Amino acid sequence: MSWWRTPTARRYLFGYTLLAPAVLYVGLLVGVPFLFSLYLAMSDASVGSPVARFVGIENFASALENAVFYTALRNTIVFTVGAGILKGLLGTTLAFLLLQPFKGRKVIRALVVIPFTLPIAVSVLGWKWMFDSQFSVINWALSRLSLIGTYGSPDWPVWLGQPGLALLSVMFVNVWRGFPFSAIVLLAGLTSVPPEILDAAKVDGASFLQRFRKVIVPMIAPILFIGSAFDTVFTLSDLSIVYLLTNGGPDGATEILPTLAYNTGIRGGALGRGAAISLFLFPLLLPAIILLLRTLRRRQY
Amino acid sequence: MSHGRSVETLSPTLDRRSFLKTTGVAVAGATLGDMLAARQAPAQTKGTNLRILVWSHYVPAYDVWFDKFTKEWGEKNGVKVRVDHIPHLELPARYAAEFAAGAGHDLIYFVGQILTGQYYRNLVDLSDVAEGLGKKYGGWLESSKSAAQVGGAWYAVPDFFISIPVLWRKDLFQTVGMGEPKTWDDLRKTAGQLKAKGHPTGMQFSHCNDANHNWRALMYCYGVKETDPSGQNIAIDSKEMREALKMGKALYDEGMTPEVFSWDDASDNRFLASGVASWIHDAISAFHSTRITNPKVFEQTFVVPEVAGPGGKWNVGEPNVWAVWKFSKNVAGAKEFIQHIADNQKEAMEASLGYNMPFLKDQYKKPMPYLGKDAKLSALQDQEKITAFLGFPGPMTPPAQEVVTTFIVPDMFTKVARGASIEDTMKWGVGEIRRIYAKHKAS
Amino acid sequence: MATLVVPAPRSQRHKELRRHLLVYAGLTPFLVIAVFPIFWMAITAIKQDADLYLVDAVPFWFRQAPTWKNFDFLFHNTSYGAWIVNTMLISFWVSAITILTAVPAGYALARLRLPFAENLGIGIFMTYLVPAIILFIPLARVVSTLDLQDSWWALVVVYPTFTIPFCTWLLMGFFKTVPFEIEEAAMVDGCGQFGALLRVVLPVSWPGIITAIIFSFTLSMQDFLYSLAFVSISEEKPVPLGVATELIRGDIYFWGSLMAGALLVGVPVAIVYNLFLDKFITGITGAAIK
Repeated sequence: MSWWRTPTARRYLFGYTLLAPAVLYVGLLVGVPFLFSLYLAMSDASVGSPVARFVGIENFASALENAVFYTALRNTIVFTVGAGILKGLLGTTLAFLLLQPFKGRKVIRALVVIPFTLPIAVSVLGWKWMFDSQFSVINWALSRLSLIGTYGSPDWPVWLGQPGLALLSVMFVNVWRGFPFSAIVLLAGLTSVPPEILDAAKVDGASFLQRFRKVIVPMIAPILFIGSAFDTVFTLSDLSIVYLLTNGGPDGATEILPTLAYNTGIRGGALGRGAAISLFLFPLLLPAIILLLRTLRRRQY
Repeated sequence: MSHGRSVETLSPTLDRRSFLKTTGVAVAGATLGDMLAARQAPAQTKGTNLRILVWSHYVPAYDVWFDKFTKEWGEKNGVKVRVDHIPHLELPARYAAEFAAGAGHDLIYFVGQILTGQYYRNLVDLSDVAEGLGKKYGGWLESSKSAAQVGGAWYAVPDFFISIPVLWRKDLFQTVGMGEPKTWDDLRKTAGQLKAKGHPTGMQFSHCNDANHNWRALMYCYGVKETDPSGQNIAIDSKEMREALKMGKALYDEGMTPEVFSWDDASDNRFLASGVASWIHDAISAFHSTRITNPKVFEQTFVVPEVAGPGGKWNVGEPNVWAVWKFSKNVAGAKEFIQHIADNQKEAMEASLGYNMPFLKDQYKKPMPYLGKDAKLSALQDQEKITAFLGFPGPMTPPAQEVVTTFIVPDMFTKVARGASIEDTMKWGVGEIRRIYAKHKAS
Repeated sequence: MATLVVPAPRSQRHKELRRHLLVYAGLTPFLVIAVFPIFWMAITAIKQDADLYLVDAVPFWFRQAPTWKNFDFLFHNTSYGAWIVNTMLISFWVSAITILTAVPAGYALARLRLPFAENLGIGIFMTYLVPAIILFIPLARVVSTLDLQDSWWALVVVYPTFTIPFCTWLLMGFFKTVPFEIEEAAMVDGCGQFGALLRVVLPVSWPGIITAIIFSFTLSMQDFLYSLAFVSISEEKPVPLGVATELIRGDIYFWGSLMAGALLVGVPVAIVYNLFLDKFITGITGAAIK
């Protein structure tokens, strides 16, 4: 019997045939353009002349000369890591709360999911209005509760204007939108946990936390990690929240790599340097992600 | 369909010019204008398609007029016209995509981000159109070239510019014994006194277009030059810039609240409309929208073209220019339309409620449409004399544009307002600007 | 067991009450954070414009009578109707492409022990690392080669670039939970590998597939940049782009209509989510609680 007729060979053939559409699709529509963007990052292309000179890593080096780049890098890391941790914590808690049977569960579940289902470009505009320096509903409420002063007083928070607060505010919007996602991924993932084990998740006093840590966490960790990995990568390159709320201002307080790349490469026209800024994290992320995914897959078998 | 006029039967580009040359001398200005206004597009545009991409105008009624205007032009000339509007901030992304695709709109529009210098290799040289219009209407303003020319050729044709004057509250100013403000110092003092009464002022320190304009207005009035007139060499590292930064801090400390760090382009409009602001530095769209949202405030709001500083009086305008992709399949139609709207500038200016400031000298004949009729706005009829554009006195080159889109100037003012030393800030800002210019020179 | 069957009804009710209180207390902060902005957006959607700018008025109630004119504006002065249809069609086709490619891929990666499978899976994930702000430029070329510029079909082509990777990994997880035994049993019964997938594995994986569909749907609505770059004709826009580009005119924000436009698509999707989530989660938890 030739090798091609062995069950193994047939399984391989079957398997790669199943894989082919997905691999070809993302390969052609992301892989090839990605090579093009790598080329951009290593050339002196501008928006009007993408046929350009090869400049090697000059654009990456140029990013490092840029003082704003370091601010953007730091903010990106704080933003992504901070928001990621919060989303993970809030999402997990919410998922377990929603597993409990209680009255009004369906309604509440529908309500908490809405932030994730609204189109981000529009809900961010809503937040812009809620963070408005003058008409903020948040300030209005806090002021009536006497937690802050009145409009015009020094302790009237300017959410998008004060350095630390501005970054926190844009992070908060990301968390607001993202934690229902974490919760849903978990809820969906929990279908894979055998019911007997899930039973331990019932809220029945002190032992809950212990069981949670020892039994549940190892079960859901892979799902949560995959969800977070996707969400983290998405957050890293997501432009819309910061772009629409502050565009990186004031004085770089909320500058992240995507806004800097967009304003340099697209609005400013220096495509090559923009591409270099936006791809800067790629070499750092690549090994991290590969490591993470490999460990995960090993653990699951 | 025969129109029976000699002009139409001639081939459009060459003969229109010779027509202009010969008749322009013989016929008196007014009659020539009338004749040309009645002129129809040449037969070769008939049956073509023309796709136009423009911004969403700050005076929404203007877009309604513009869409109707283009439709009528299309119907009259047998051109199928389609107009798309997108917000000016999003135009560059669309252009990058159209350029990469080699397809899209025929006639495009730069505003806010002037990308003439970046795209000129791929734009049609419109010198014939621009020079024709210049001859017809008494010449272009000197400042027109900034956003429209590259190396002496017109790769864009100016449509209009937006002027950004001072809008001030007469009633509030009177409570502290002040009349019309004449200088930046007047504005500073009044804001300081009125802030104590709950009426501060505000100019954006944030990452938005207005921040780029407003602080540059102050800079130019303080005699700051961003570059030399060629736009090649940086000149911002000056005593004047340090003085301007100092004044920026004084304006903030005495007359503003921290709100200004979070503002976007529309925040100062709301600030005025809410009745809080003592004055703002903004386009007259803010004036017009206050008319609707708060008539009482509107009644007391007056307009000063600009206030003076130690370096004179300079208003920063925002140019809007037409350009045509080389890949366009209807270059002739696009050129025709540019001429047509320039010929109907009066109607356009009226429709924009005096917002669209012309670039052609003859169009400053008083009374100007709308502005001439509105007592509060009539002073803007001389605005062209004090108007400068970003990058002044150099043109809006690609490096000048990158300095704008990365908000270096607003960040410098923010740093100083928040207490950073002027020298440290200059070192940072000049360093960033140098880096950008060096990059563009290298490529 | 028998001795435990009937606990004192009172203490049970007590316990139940205590549990409910605990759960409600835990959920309160989530509800406030998630729902307050939504509530506020809903209020804004039916407010009159002038009411928005009254500084001393209670912002989450009405001083002037509520109005439907913002909804009216959406449907009569913009192409909102077309945007909704486009969004639905885009989401439908994107989901279809995603399921047709991600289901087999997820299955192959999870089950068939292929050499390089791990690397291929990681490769698919990696595509997520390429930022859209650069990717849209070469993709513009693709879109125009396919002659889809300024058509919503362009987005049908582009959106699977981010839905396929996500759903492939999601489905991988689901397929791993299907016991090998049932598949083997099917194959013994004469089904081929493909038959087993079709007749045995897919039917028990439907919660995962529905989840993937819902995610494709939602992820499609999170895009702004691609639609901005590829679609400029009003009638071809999806809802997020249409709302964000046509309801802000210069410095005038049509706040009411913006909020109305967002809620009209966001809330139904949330309800659909809930219906499906409910089905399969009640299934499991129901079993778990017994």
